[in-house]
Amino acid sequence: MSEKTFTGRKRHGTRLSVRLAEWASSAMITVGGLGTILAVALIFVFLVWVVLPLFGAAEVGDAQQTAIASANDGATWHAHVDPSRQMLVVIDARGHARVHHLATGDLLEERALVTQAPTAFNVTPGGEQLVFGFGDGSVTTAELAFDTTFLSADAPLDDAIVALQPGESIAVGASVVERTREGVLRQLRFEPWVEDPFDTGAGVPIRLADRVDSGSRTVWVTFDDSERLRHLEVRSSKNLLTGKITRRAKERALSYATGLRAAPTRLLLSGQGDNLYLGWADGRLERHDLSDADDPRVAEVLDVAEGEASVTALGFLLGRSTLLVGDSDGRLSAWFRIKPDDAGTPDGALLVEAHTLLESGPAITSLAPSPRTRLLALGDADGGVRLLHVTSQQELAYLPPTPDSQGDAHLRAVVMAPKEDALVLLGTRQITQRLLDPKHPEAALGSLFGTVWYEGYTDPQHVWQSSSGSDDFEEKLGLMPLIFGTLKATFYSMLFGAPLALLAAIFTSEFLSRRVRTPIKSAIEMMASLPSVVLGFLAALVIAPFVENVLPIILASFLCVPMCLWLGAQLWQLLPAASAVRLAGMPRLLGITAALLVGASLSVLVGPALEALCFGGDLILWLDGQGGGGAGGWFFLLLPLALLATAMIEGRTVQLRRRGARRNATRQGMARLDLLRAALIVVGGGVLAFLVSQALSGVGLDPRGGVVDTYVQRNALIVGFVMGFAVIPIIYTLAEDALNSVPEHLRLASLGAGATQWQTATRVIVPAAMSGLFSALMIGLGRAVGETMIVLMATGNTAVMEWNVFNGFRTLSANIAVELPEAVRGSTHYRTLFLAALVLFAMTFVLNTLAEVVRARFRKRAVQL
Amino acid sequence: MSNALPPTGTKDPLIAAPSAPRARRSRRGTSLFAHGEPMIWFTGGSLVLALLMIIGLLGWVLAQGMGTFWPERVPQLELLGGERLMGELGDVERYTPEASMLDALSPELRARADLELAALDGQLERVLLRSGNFDISNTHYRWVDRYAIAHASRELDDSEAGRQWELDPARFRMEASASDTDWSLVVERLSWGRLYAKPVAFQVAGQALSDDPAEAWEQFEAHHSEARERWQQRRDLETHDIGDVNHALEEARLAARAAQMDLDAALAASAGAPRLTKLRAANEAAQASLLDTEELGEQRFAELQSQIRELDEQNARQTLLVQTADGTLVDLQLADVVRAYPANQLGLFGRLGVYASRWREFLFDDPREANSEGGVFPAIFGTVVMTLIMSLLVVPLGVLAALYLREYAKQGPIVSAVRIAVNNLAGVPSIVFGVFGLGFFCYIVGVSIDELFYSAKLPSPTFGTGGLLWASFTLALLTLPVVIVATEEALSAVPNSMREGSYACGATKWQTIQRIVLPRAAPGIMTGMVLAIARGAGEVAPLMLVGAVKLAPDLPIDVNNWSGSLGPIWTGAAHLERSFMHLGFHIYDLGFQSQNSEAAKPMVYTTTLLLIGIVVTLNLLAVGVRSRLRRRFAGTHV
Repeated sequence: MSEKTFTGRKRHGTRLSVRLAEWASSAMITVGGLGTILAVALIFVFLVWVVLPLFGAAEVGDAQQTAIASANDGATWHAHVDPSRQMLVVIDARGHARVHHLATGDLLEERALVTQAPTAFNVTPGGEQLVFGFGDGSVTTAELAFDTTFLSADAPLDDAIVALQPGESIAVGASVVERTREGVLRQLRFEPWVEDPFDTGAGVPIRLADRVDSGSRTVWVTFDDSERLRHLEVRSSKNLLTGKITRRAKERALSYATGLRAAPTRLLLSGQGDNLYLGWADGRLERHDLSDADDPRVAEVLDVAEGEASVTALGFLLGRSTLLVGDSDGRLSAWFRIKPDDAGTPDGALLVEAHTLLESGPAITSLAPSPRTRLLALGDADGGVRLLHVTSQQELAYLPPTPDSQGDAHLRAVVMAPKEDALVLLGTRQITQRLLDPKHPEAALGSLFGTVWYEGYTDPQHVWQSSSGSDDFEEKLGLMPLIFGTLKATFYSMLFGAPLALLAAIFTSEFLSRRVRTPIKSAIEMMASLPSVVLGFLAALVIAPFVENVLPIILASFLCVPMCLWLGAQLWQLLPAASAVRLAGMPRLLGITAALLVGASLSVLVGPALEALCFGGDLILWLDGQGGGGAGGWFFLLLPLALLATAMIEGRTVQLRRRGARRNATRQGMARLDLLRAALIVVGGGVLAFLVSQALSGVGLDPRGGVVDTYVQRNALIVGFVMGFAVIPIIYTLAEDALNSVPEHLRLASLGAGATQWQTATRVIVPAAMSGLFSALMIGLGRAVGETMIVLMATGNTAVMEWNVFNGFRTLSANIAVELPEAVRGSTHYRTLFLAALVLFAMTFVLNTLAEVVRARFRKRAVQL
Repeated sequence: MSNALPPTGTKDPLIAAPSAPRARRSRRGTSLFAHGEPMIWFTGGSLVLALLMIIGLLGWVLAQGMGTFWPERVPQLELLGGERLMGELGDVERYTPEASMLDALSPELRARADLELAALDGQLERVLLRSGNFDISNTHYRWVDRYAIAHASRELDDSEAGRQWELDPARFRMEASASDTDWSLVVERLSWGRLYAKPVAFQVAGQALSDDPAEAWEQFEAHHSEARERWQQRRDLETHDIGDVNHALEEARLAARAAQMDLDAALAASAGAPRLTKLRAANEAAQASLLDTEELGEQRFAELQSQIRELDEQNARQTLLVQTADGTLVDLQLADVVRAYPANQLGLFGRLGVYASRWREFLFDDPREANSEGGVFPAIFGTVVMTLIMSLLVVPLGVLAALYLREYAKQGPIVSAVRIAVNNLAGVPSIVFGVFGLGFFCYIVGVSIDELFYSAKLPSPTFGTGGLLWASFTLALLTLPVVIVATEEALSAVPNSMREGSYACGATKWQTIQRIVLPRAAPGIMTGMVLAIARGAGEVAPLMLVGAVKLAPDLPIDVNNWSGSLGPIWTGAAHLERSFMHLGFHIYDLGFQSQNSEAAKPMVYTTTLLLIGIVVTLNLLAVGVRSRLRRRFAGTHV
């Protein structure tokens, strides 16, 4: 389509191909651009998505109830479920096991586990090992085991079995056949293992008994009808010819508080067999120390029930170390032994109430600890069930009473399935199964970020320890030590890097000629992209061993180098004004370099002297607390402060008074005076520091234990150096840019008004560029927070929380790098590491946003100027 | 970083900027305090300190990295007890001895130690000797005390220890019998590390051909290269040919398993009869082909094994009999010797030759001895391929996003918020990207891919674990903000007048972008790209999570699978799901996970030097491009 136009030329419409290209490109750029930005936003969303389930509530399924024929004998001692949740085994007071098909409630078999009626009964926290005591004074152990066989598809099978759908099961005789989710047929049989009874020689009925295996021996403790408490160490040996096992026992009588009206009702042996807990119904609890079997003694006697309440449930948590006490007032507490410095007990340990899980409610009747974690289910007198996690003190769920057809809600037993995937509640006439997904009970805001009282620790602490060799390990997922480590690394590296970078930027922009500036600046900029793995490697394998060898020299250089620079400046002032101005460029820089080198060589001399004088001859030993008093350390630490203070005092007093006289002095004269002043300040500062340090150590204070303490080769000082070095380029570049973009006319006006270069720099340029400098610092801070390789390599990666500059730490980033590859996908540990990443993300995001906002303001202001 | 620069160019050109040192007369009476000389010295000191640290660091790495491969002389030492040692000398150090150690010395040694203690203020000096011969002595390095040295050969004088100690030649010189030390060999072996020994005889099938060291060495040199060729041949057979057979077997097995799984799934879903028949047939065919392949494979295996045996026999015939300093005789197979040279016989060119050959091995060969010897070729390859894939991903995406933000999106609060967010992401720690890469790419995308396409291989993951592709994706995400910011900056540097001019000529938006804006912004985009590549090449932390490994058995690209095997060529060729080696990770691994860290140290330095070299070169490239860009646009500013 074309038409005649003013110029007489034909005007063409836009060609189709051009229009198509236009449309396509526009669509592609919009879709691609938006998609890219969305993909980037996805990072945050994804992290949150992984982390959120940590805080999700436990899921408890609906009640699946099946009726059962009531047992003849009402007393139920124990109930147990097999790992695949097909069978419920109920142990009654006759020592009989009744096996029910869990899905239907059908009674599969009833068999006697023991030949005579038991008089005593006990059970391990996992619920698999049972302990029986008998009227004739013998004891035995039974293991509730299950035998699994897989049915071959070729074998002739019942039609009912073939017709099973995945997840369904059917009772076949005394066994249960199940089709698993994978479609395989699995047959399950109850195959308990019962030990031959072992005669303790008591001669009277055993009333309480417990046992624990430790190494080649088995420790039994029994309490019998004649009220004797006996400790038996049983060693068994097998006759190689006959295969007969003979057991020999070494017996010791234990003393306990006799003469009480009532006899003890519970007897529990701790996991190593080194502690015996003897409990009475009224709350009295005796702890016997059996660690030296030849010298057993009562370590403690305490009252674990509050007020008038009586103890209704007493048992161990996984690991047989934490004691759970439930009483008639519904109070549930968790107790374990700690070893404080001042225990006041014969064995130096103390049983403390570490967690109060429930305050009040219906009486607690049964405890069902999980065999794999610190999860716990408990049943109360009303028939209600609670699900708790002991470490995080969370109540995960409360299941109200489920009365049966006759309105009876009484619970005979609460069973936690071995895989923690269901709760089975045994009522008088029914079995209630509730599927369970506890999610991540060990993680809660309180346990992730607050102090938690972990088993065996003397007090609630922030601890990160995510894995260990043993199975009954309590996962310690406190993020605070890691956050602390991150902050410590950031603090020390900024302490070193930030002043250096800012001062260097001021010098570059204000006192360096343009010709020299460009190469220096690009050299430092280049360092910004130096791979941090290189710095980390050098820090760990070169700098750390080096610094350990010459630590006194390094410390001395903190004093010597600034002093030499200061002295150099004082000497420089002695130059006539004209030459000072003439030499202000490269020669001064060379002078500064010389002063620096002199300072460095001086510290090589001063270092050993300092070590001998202040630190008792060996700095590293001194730091470790061996040899030397605190005064020398105080002196060294306070010297810089004292020098500053003296300088300030001098400036306020002497200097002010001499202001009038100064007007008429010559430059050289003033410079000489200044030199004198410098000497005075050094002497005055030294004296001041000495006096204060003597006073402080006289009072009994020691600098060790705080910022300085035991020396570790890979420590915060090294990280401070190297990570400081890593952030210098970025802070330097941004700060120099900010200083440089202050409009030139401000500088000229200030100089024109008679200000010196230094006055212009500090009073005009720096304030004008302040927000730029601030944002440079923020960005440097963000970089230091997230740095991984340097801290991973140059610190010991121990998650300790102390400010000691000579100790290591573990940062969030290094922790992720070390542990995430090993974390199981979807586990609490995995999600907690994602939370660590999210915290890191949030920290840097806040810092960077702050920097960005300040920088935007700075830009606006710069335009106004 | 360049994205953080506030706008420059606000200076008024009319007011000439004075050069920094301004000549002014200081008036009488201006307080010296106002000049702030001490503070200026502090600021200057900071700058000098920063520069010195940079120079020191680079100089240290350069010196250590370049010096590693230089062949040192091999001195012989005889200790007072009569023990003879041979090896390369390292650092000299002073130490304070334990009293118990001194007490355990023999009277003669004790007297000499006491003399030295008196002279050195209660300290002793010792030198680190790389004694090698790990198979005999169970150590690679040992410290030799100065006082314990009775005699030393001339070569000691060339070392740092010799220069420092100025040992009295008359007293310390070993009785010179020319043939004694001269032929001392440094032997780099395939296993057990270095061997320091003197040649005794060259043997063929146990029969000595010559007993003279010089002749033995000559014959060794003559036969070494052919032995190495045989070794190379044997390795090719082992890795390539046997690998091919294994590969074919594995593929047949997978195909059979997949067919079986299809059939099972159809059975479980009670599919229709025709489909079942078809699947049954396919299954049978696959099982049959598996049997065939297995049979063929076994034949081929036997064939290859016999070839390898033959080569082994040939290799076993030629040996060099050498004697270590303590008199042990070692029979060296020629094929096991990577490199040997008579260290004390080499002239400058000989040493240069060894130096160059070591560099060549370092750059182009596979690592040996738990990465502490040999080359880093797989790491260089992994780094390069990963960086390449990363830039293929990041540049188009970054440019698209920047174009959208700058040219298409309506400028407003939302776009500036997005811009701030993108800027922020440039500061998000790299490990966070690693966490995302592992959780999202490996565990979600990768696992889904495995379930869909590689179900026959499950439960061993194919894409569902760290690998080259996911590492590239992760680093692409990491460097995306860098590219976006740099591109945006480059786009905004194109004057609006040019766009308007283009529109005025009737160009469409895309035409304007394509022909006016992009060409002008290209150097800026290039800068961003190079910076991103430099960052990506040096980044290690996220790679630890998404697939960099200590030792990858196969390169991510199979060069040997072009011929043969059953599958189509491309599946045999590129394995982006494989884990890979990376220079940065190599440094971390060598420095920290290595059991023999002293022996690994030289390799760490050379690898570090290589990595710094790559990154600095890339940065210089970026700086060059940027300055060209600035010059080019200097005139077009309006």
